Amino acid sequence: MGHSFPEEVLEHVFSFITSHKDRNVVSLVCKSWYEIERWCRRSIFIGNCYAVSPKMMIRRFPEVRSVELKGKPHFADFNLVPDGWGGYFYPWISEMSRAYPWLEEIKLKRMVVTDEGLELISKSFKNFKVLILSSCEGFSTDGLAAIAAHCRNLKELDLRESEVEDVSGHWLSHFPETCTSLESLNMACLGSEVSFSALQRLVSRSPNLKTLRLNRTVPLEKLSTLLRRAPQLLQMGTGAYSAEPRSDLYSNLLDAFSKCKNLNELSGFWDVVPSYLPAFYPVCSRLTSLNLSYATIQSPEITKIVTQCPNLQRLWVLDYIEDTGLNALSLSCKELRELRVFPSDPFVVDANVSLTEEGLVAVSQGCRNLQSVLYFCRQMTNSALTTIARNRPNLTCFRLCILEPRAPDYLTLEPLDTGFGAIVEHCKGLERLSLSGLLTDRVFEYIGTRGKKLEMLSIAFAGDSDLGLHHVLSGCESLRKLEIRDCPFGDKALLANVSKLETMRSLWMSSCLVSLGACKLLSQKMPRLNVEVIDERGDLDSMLDAYPVEKLYIYRTVAGPRFDMPSFIRTMAVDQQPNR
Amino acid sequence: MAIVKPEMKSFIWLETPDGSTQQVEEEVAMFCPMICREVLQTGMGSSKNYAIKLPQRVTTPVLGLILDYCRFHQVQGRSNKERKSFDEKLIRLDTKKLCELTSGADSLQLRPLVDLTSRALARMIEGKTPEEIRHTFHLPDDLTEEEKLEPLRIRTNDPRIRLLNRLYARKRKELKIREKAKCMLENVEVEEEHEHVDDRSVDDLLLFINSGDEKDSKGVKSSASGAPKNKKKNRRRKDHPKGLHIIENGNHKKETDSLCSSASSPSKISKLLESDSPTAIMHSSDFDFDDELDPAMKEQLDREVEDFARRLNSVWPKRVSGTGMGSLGHDRRIAFAPLSRSS
Repeated sequence: MGHSFPEEVLEHVFSFITSHKDRNVVSLVCKSWYEIERWCRRSIFIGNCYAVSPKMMIRRFPEVRSVELKGKPHFADFNLVPDGWGGYFYPWISEMSRAYPWLEEIKLKRMVVTDEGLELISKSFKNFKVLILSSCEGFSTDGLAAIAAHCRNLKELDLRESEVEDVSGHWLSHFPETCTSLESLNMACLGSEVSFSALQRLVSRSPNLKTLRLNRTVPLEKLSTLLRRAPQLLQMGTGAYSAEPRSDLYSNLLDAFSKCKNLNELSGFWDVVPSYLPAFYPVCSRLTSLNLSYATIQSPEITKIVTQCPNLQRLWVLDYIEDTGLNALSLSCKELRELRVFPSDPFVVDANVSLTEEGLVAVSQGCRNLQSVLYFCRQMTNSALTTIARNRPNLTCFRLCILEPRAPDYLTLEPLDTGFGAIVEHCKGLERLSLSGLLTDRVFEYIGTRGKKLEMLSIAFAGDSDLGLHHVLSGCESLRKLEIRDCPFGDKALLANVSKLETMRSLWMSSCLVSLGACKLLSQKMPRLNVEVIDERGDLDSMLDAYPVEKLYIYRTVAGPRFDMPSFIRTMAVDQQPNR
Repeated sequence: MAIVKPEMKSFIWLETPDGSTQQVEEEVAMFCPMICREVLQTGMGSSKNYAIKLPQRVTTPVLGLILDYCRFHQVQGRSNKERKSFDEKLIRLDTKKLCELTSGADSLQLRPLVDLTSRALARMIEGKTPEEIRHTFHLPDDLTEEEKLEPLRIRTNDPRIRLLNRLYARKRKELKIREKAKCMLENVEVEEEHEHVDDRSVDDLLLFINSGDEKDSKGVKSSASGAPKNKKKNRRRKDHPKGLHIIENGNHKKETDSLCSSASSPSKISKLLESDSPTAIMHSSDFDFDDELDPAMKEQLDREVEDFARRLNSVWPKRVSGTGMGSLGHDRRIAFAPLSRSS
């Protein structure tokens, strides 16, 4: 490149390089690129908020406009991370509010956000545009009111699946009449009623509104009113989809949907009254994404919908779809890329739902573009898995959740090792995998030898010994996140693969056999890891080294140990004294 | 001022850094903002002796490419397809030439060409490893191992961790005493408490550290609303939390008193704890210091711990809503029960 290549020009070149991965690579090329890159970096993604401190981020990247942070480990979604674990947003916003006056976007996942934090956002950034709070908690509608009131140029407010304390539905009224910039509003997770008139006015004065996701309390009668005021919508989430059968209501709704020529994504559908379903059929031919995962409708209705959506790329649905529905899907939706089938009643052993491995096999056969699968079911066979693998070598994400732990191949009663082995063998680009069912160390051998592109692996109730874990840690080159629960994995595999842990973002192990002593040892060997022991059962200090810890969370960090934990969590100190 | 003779085509004289000059059709040269400005502001370029001196980075070969670009694009009426096709051919250069072209276009302020070449360079960078990029662009590998990682702040022998562990140990001992006294209370479902179990341990800690400072009891405040919400994570709430209840809140005193008449009064125990000042802990014989700290070090640790407490205070948010402590009860039955759709 030569010394004469001017910085501004290089900066201009970098402006076309936007993926985080590539930006990170650019910064590692040489000193001058590192310097130039850090000054022109506009967007930061931090996958583990404890891997780095806010001050470090600010010191290195002074001109950031967009920050994305993730807090709690993924297993928090399954209730395995105790309350009070951490993931606090406040330390970040407190620093950013001073350092980044031009910040435009904040995206958080699984973090604890407070009203104070939201207020600080609303008052600190003149040009704040996008707030996405995904699976967050700790704040109330008061915080939302602050955002609404003070963020003059707000484009996007997305509360996807967060837990929000509903103090008052009037927070929506805090959007000033002058606010016309809104493009996306997702309040589907809110429990209580919002002021409908305020919502209506807001929608009316937002000509750029592309995404609107209502919460359950917005009644079906009001839906057509909103749709009529926002025919330009691309993505819509309904409220409760139920009302008394009234022909005028129905025709209003049908008419409103018909006028939405750009609608390509639908969600919501709580409490569905099936007779109202045809009202949205006019939209089906354009639909690329459909989320029916809250809709308790039966297979015939689902089938009817699905067969009218030839352009469907993403479907989230309950197991009510059954094998027949999935079969119909495989025949009608040739563009399908992502399928998620959720359990309608996970805690019942024998649900009266005819969803088996055959449904998934059918989809794998008919939908050539299928890349991502999340499938909850009650039975599986090696044969089915092998067929799926052979049909769909282009799978990048395969998450199979057989509800009963350690369920074998129901026909042969064998472990499902060969089935999952086939998946990792044929799907060479597989990046994410969740295992379930009866599995021995063998499956991990397959994964270790074949899962070279695997970045995230979730394991539950599987394996026989440390060898299983060892296969994974020593074999999976691209592994970034590993989460394990209730497996007989102990100290040996961990201690034999210490350096691997620094190449990963994080490792979670709960109800396994890792001893406290091993945790201490690991921490000593690897000072750049935080080894967090989580144990609510009793006294961590008097626990013997030989004792297995309840939960373990290991992650690499350059910020050192954290000090915001409750008493049942300890970061192993590098010089920890042994308890014999 | 260039004299335009209608019967003659106008040319502009340009001089490259190596001293050589050439004449270029006016409409082509004027396509470059920098040349255009020079002509209009200084009047240069009308003859060989008054050739416009081009910037350093516009060497003769680079100028050639730039003029090719200008010559093509300044013609009206070309279709987008034609233009795109031309551009694609133009940028098929080796890395060195592409860099030189980008550089030259930039110094002539020819924005569209800068964008075109910059994008091409970006595409050459994307998807590569640092080593590959260094190789492609002949760049030095001059970052140190440390710089590649970010400066570490972790001190391997952090006394603060040890100290906090000691304080936790002390706390745990006190809790054991309380637990014995309140044996009967573990089965009482006192909802508001659930959310504070974790809080209070640290808040007690803070009370130890900053004795009597009102600010520190901020975290002990009960949540804004006690009414149970109908949330997806409902199941957690119903389960009885395992572990210890730390009953600090005066509201619960009556209840505890009536239920645990044989046990020693809770107020007595609270008093016992509150009387402990940070210095008391530090110098108490119960306090287990494995390592001998000299007084100077102790003082420094005192200060650090206080600093800590302040920081803990500032990161400890007001608990607006709480959910019950996670329970393993339901989880055991099945491997994964989805609580969120976007997991």
